[in-house]
Parts: sequence; structure tokens; C-alpha cells
Amino acid sequence: MNADSGSMIPEEETLVSRIVEFCRFCRASGLSAGVKQSVDALEAARGVGVRDRDILKSALRSVLCSNKDEWEQFDDLFEAYWGSAPGSAISPRKRPPADQRLLRGFRAITTLIGKSTARDTEDDGGKAVLGATALERLRRTDFSQASQDDLPELERIAIRLLREMSLRLSRRFKSMREGRQVDLRRTIRRNISRGGDLIDLSYKARKIQQDRLVVLLDISGSMNPYSLFFLRFAYALQRHFKRVDTFLFSTQLTEITVLLRGRSPAQAMRSLAEQAAGWSGGTKIGESLREFVTCHGTRVLSRDTVFIVLSDGWDTGPPEALAEQLHTIRRRVRRVMWLNPLLGLPEYKPITRGMSAALPYIDVFAPAHNLESLLALERHLARN
Amino acid sequence: MPPTLPPGKQINDPSDVVRGLEQQGYITDTALATVVFLGTRLGKPVLLEGHAGLGKTEVAKVLAGFLGARLIRLQCYEGLDVNSAVYEWNYQKQLLAIKIEERTRQTVEEQEKHIFSREFLLERPLLQAIQAQDFSPVLLVDEVDRADEAFEAFLLELLSDFQITIPELGTVRARHVPHVILTSNRSRELGDALKRRCLYHWIDYPSLEKELRIVKTRLPGIEAELSNQVVRFVQSVRKLQLYKPPGIAETLDWAQALTSLGKRELDPAGVEATLGCLAKSMEDAGKITEAGVSNLIAKNPTADLRG
Repeated sequence: MNADSGSMIPEEETLVSRIVEFCRFCRASGLSAGVKQSVDALEAARGVGVRDRDILKSALRSVLCSNKDEWEQFDDLFEAYWGSAPGSAISPRKRPPADQRLLRGFRAITTLIGKSTARDTEDDGGKAVLGATALERLRRTDFSQASQDDLPELERIAIRLLREMSLRLSRRFKSMREGRQVDLRRTIRRNISRGGDLIDLSYKARKIQQDRLVVLLDISGSMNPYSLFFLRFAYALQRHFKRVDTFLFSTQLTEITVLLRGRSPAQAMRSLAEQAAGWSGGTKIGESLREFVTCHGTRVLSRDTVFIVLSDGWDTGPPEALAEQLHTIRRRVRRVMWLNPLLGLPEYKPITRGMSAALPYIDVFAPAHNLESLLALERHLARN
Repeated sequence: MPPTLPPGKQINDPSDVVRGLEQQGYITDTALATVVFLGTRLGKPVLLEGHAGLGKTEVAKVLAGFLGARLIRLQCYEGLDVNSAVYEWNYQKQLLAIKIEERTRQTVEEQEKHIFSREFLLERPLLQAIQAQDFSPVLLVDEVDRADEAFEAFLLELLSDFQITIPELGTVRARHVPHVILTSNRSRELGDALKRRCLYHWIDYPSLEKELRIVKTRLPGIEAELSNQVVRFVQSVRKLQLYKPPGIAETLDWAQALTSLGKRELDPAGVEATLGCLAKSMEDAGKITEAGVSNLIAKNPTADLRG
């Protein structure tokens, strides 16, 4: 079947250790295969034999990969380890050169985190007692106008209030959707002695299904003063909603759902630093949305999805692209919310080309410039 | 424990699988055949992921045909629960039985034992799959990504032990472990534990050559010229970033439609009349028209295919 047949395979006794080593190599190169998979890999190799290189490759791949990305990586890993030519030695691991964009992104987020002074634990919110008037003032301070002295305090109460809000929201979902359904199986059993007349009814516990939230955060330059608080907002939502997917976008799209699942907000922010590319660059909203729809649409868009965009609507791409994508999304979700920090300015009108193209497909267009406006979203997020 | 093959059936290596599936009209490659082979050899479930319309479900069907085994299919959907996937009691029958036996002076315990016996049990796909007496059936768990996490957890348990406990009856243990094929369109990411238990295979869009072979196998009557043009057209359409790129199913539908219209080769009018077979939304159809139908029709396909 294959010209290389047989020749790539070392002596019988070293074969086992080479396969195990290959599994380690894959793990070190980023595949998620664990120790159990090494055992499976040996079993698979035994199952297909090692005479045919392609077959061995397919067999190992089916065991060591568990999604498309890994699947696509595997060819290179296999070549790198077993060599493309028969009998060649193990090549040294290659590390990709540090991506320039990533480095830039890193710097951007470290400055962002530099501003953040919140401590590592989320639960210290209640300790300092703030005067009622001061609290009221901070709730209304535009994030971009907050003075350096106010920032720590503002962030602290933001964490606390947002957490309370999302907790309330997730609880409300539960109580609202409780309904009763007869559990026939238990009912029949309980009523056997009554000659089959169903008198005592047993009820099933109704499955609780929360809405799904999809959050897209604009992190382009113009959004800089707000990004930190929006991340906090997304973080808070993700803490208490089971199904939240969070994405960042500027000129491209990055999913950060997994990163926000960190233990504390500060830790989550730090792990973001390693991820985000294109922080504080330009904005291509339409293009980012298109990428979102093609890559993640089938997974996260559904009838019970609330789709939330946090952006000022400054789009350097064509407005038609934005309108088209938003239209596609609108048809597939329960509600589209666009939160715009500029809406807090008294003189602001959504007349930027991007924003006005988007408006027809937006159900809730709300400001998001201060804490109060973020907290007001509770009303829109609750199912009605 | 590996599955039991029907008497007289032998699968010695992946090329047996390639041949066997081909006899059933399914064109495959060594990669997929190897995974299916390993599944039957090691008794591991095979998880097939890929876009819609690329023949994932078909794999289970042709495998059953090739093995001469029974195909048991479980279609997953949101809210799928144990009652519809595993078993349920036949409530109406139970109620009737209670009425009928009212006068027989049975004790409550006796009655209970009677109406919760196998006679009143409705077996759903997963229970059926582990009840085979002679040899292993093929169990197809279709679109497992649509079921919710709770069901996935249950499935994982079943795939590890191949046993189901019915509180009223006891535990049913599989005598012959089924060949299990799971398919997923990736509408959500499956849990790691489930994926780890399976042999994974990503089904991608077919190469030009493979797709041509598929069209020729499935539609033996088609003109060579037409099938070449159709496949080339579809292959270029897949590069257009459609919302729903056409799969093999669409290629076949479309080729069929064109043959029914008596077309011997592609022309812009014919394409426009049948575009609905390829593009499943207004926007996608628009994108194809925008790219220019006549540009997408290969000028001289047979020539450069041979080259």
C-alpha cells in the first residue's frame, strides 16, 4: 500500500517505548492526550500492526486527537517525530517564533491590568464602608472620566454590584421556569393499591434551562477607557450563568470564555494577557461578526440565546457587512442587545455609519458608560 | 471486550473495511477505514465529527450493511431523556393490567411485580443495543452534540460498562458489545471524557478525485463531462465562504437534478434553475451568483484532470 512500509519501524522491543515517547511528544506540543491515551495508542498500534505507515498514523491519530484543531496539527507532529523519510531520527521540537502581534497585545493588556488595583479575592467587596453619597456618585461616574483616585474604589464596587446582579439574575431564571409535570411512572407505582385509579400524583422536577448569553466585547482603541469594566461585566456574568460565551474583537475575533473561568478576576485578567491579539487596534465589526458566525455560530447561536455586543460602533469596515451579519444573527437568537458607552453622552446620536446600519437589528440599544447603566441591564437580561 | 462479528465474518485489516464499505456503495479512504477497523477490533466507540452532509451517518448504515448486523439508531435532540433513549414503562398497559387483576386477589406486591415485568417494558434504542443475543448490532448515536450534558454523561457511563440498571427489574448487561458510531456536527463542544473514550475522526470535505468517485459510484448513469463539471463547480463553491457550504449530499442532489433535467453538461441557465440544491439560503445563492456562475463552470475539466 505504501512505499515506506516497514522501513520506518524500529526494532520490536524499542517500538513500545517509541510510541509512548511519541505520545509524550504530542502532549508537549499541545495535544490534550493524557496518560490513558498512551495506553490506548499502544493498543491501537497493536490492533493495526506497524507495517503500514499510513494506517499506523491514522490509528494513532484517532486516539491522540479529540477535535479538529488537534486533528489538523497531527500530520506535522507525526512527520516531525517519525520523520518523513524512512528511518530518520527524531527531530528536535520546534517552537514557533514569538508572534509580534501577540507581544503587542501583551503590552496593551499589561497596561490595562496596571490600572487594575483590585485584590485577588473577589469577596473583599463589603469590607470598606463607603458613604452613601460617594457610592451614588461613583455609580454614575462615566468610566472614561473617573479620576485616578476613584478608580480602585470604582472597580471594587463594580465587582460587588455586578456579582450581586448576576446572582439575582440566575436565581430569577430558576424560580420563573419551575413548572410541574406528572411523573407517570411513580404515580402508577404509588397507586397500584387503588386499583389503578390515579389519586396521588407524583411530580417530576422540571429541568431548569437558563438562557444562553453570548457577549462580544469591542477592545479597539476607542473603547480603551471602558474595556476593563466591560471585562469585569463579562466576568461577572460568566460566574453565575452556566452558558455564557465571551469573545473579544477589534480587527479580529478571540474567544475568551475559557480564560474568564479563572479563579479570581485578577487572575482571569492576567491570563487574558497571554491570549489577546490586536488589543487596542482598529475595529472591523462586520468582519469580526462574520468570523463569529462562521466559526462559532452553529455552536452558540440558538433560540434561547441573548446576544450582547459592547461597542461604540466605530467601524472601519463597510457598514453593509455589519448590517448583513447582524441580520443573520438576529434571525437566530432570542434577542440582540447593543450596549454603547457613547450613549451616555447627552449630545450623542447613533449616526456613525456602522451604528446606524446596525440599529434595525437591535432589540435593546442601551448605554454602558457607568456602573449604573451596566446594572440597569438586569431589567433586559431577565426573561419576560 | 470487542464486539462479536456475525458467524463467518472476518475483518483482518483496514483494507477489508475499505472494500466492504465500497461494496455498500460508500467510497472511503484508509484513514477512516483504519478508525472503523480499530473500533471493531478494540470495541471502542467511533466519534465522527464534521460538517453536515459529508456522510457521517452513512458510515454506520454501510457498516451495518457490510457486517450484516442490525442497525439501531438513536437520533439526539435537545431535551432527549432516558425515557426516550433507554426504556419506558408502558403506562396504558400497566393501568389496564391493574384494572383486570383487580378481582384476582393478588397482593399489592404481586401486582407490582407483574406490571413491572418485561412484558410492560418499552425498549428504546440504547436498551435494544445491549440486548442482542447472537452478535453485535451497530449502534448509531446521531448528532450527539444536540443532546444536553446530562444525557452525554449517561451515554458515557453506558459506553464504559455496557450495562443498564432498571430499578424495578435489575441490571441488563450486554452479551455482545455493539459497534458504536457517534456523529457530531460540532454545534457544541462535547465533553472531554466522552471524546477520550472514543476514537476520533474528523470528516473533511472530499478531495476532487474522491468526490468524483463518489458521484460516479452513486450515480452510475451520469455523463462523465457533467460529473466532472459538477464536482469542480462544487469544489469552487466551497471556497466562497458560504454560510452553509455544500456537502457531498448536496453534490449528489444537484447532479441528480441536472441529470433529470436532461443536462449533459453545465450551462449558466441550468445552474440557475437548480441552484437551490447547492445553496440553502438566499444569501448563499446570492454569493454564488455574485461570484459569477459562468466563471465557476470549469472550461475544460477533463483535460486538466488527466494531466
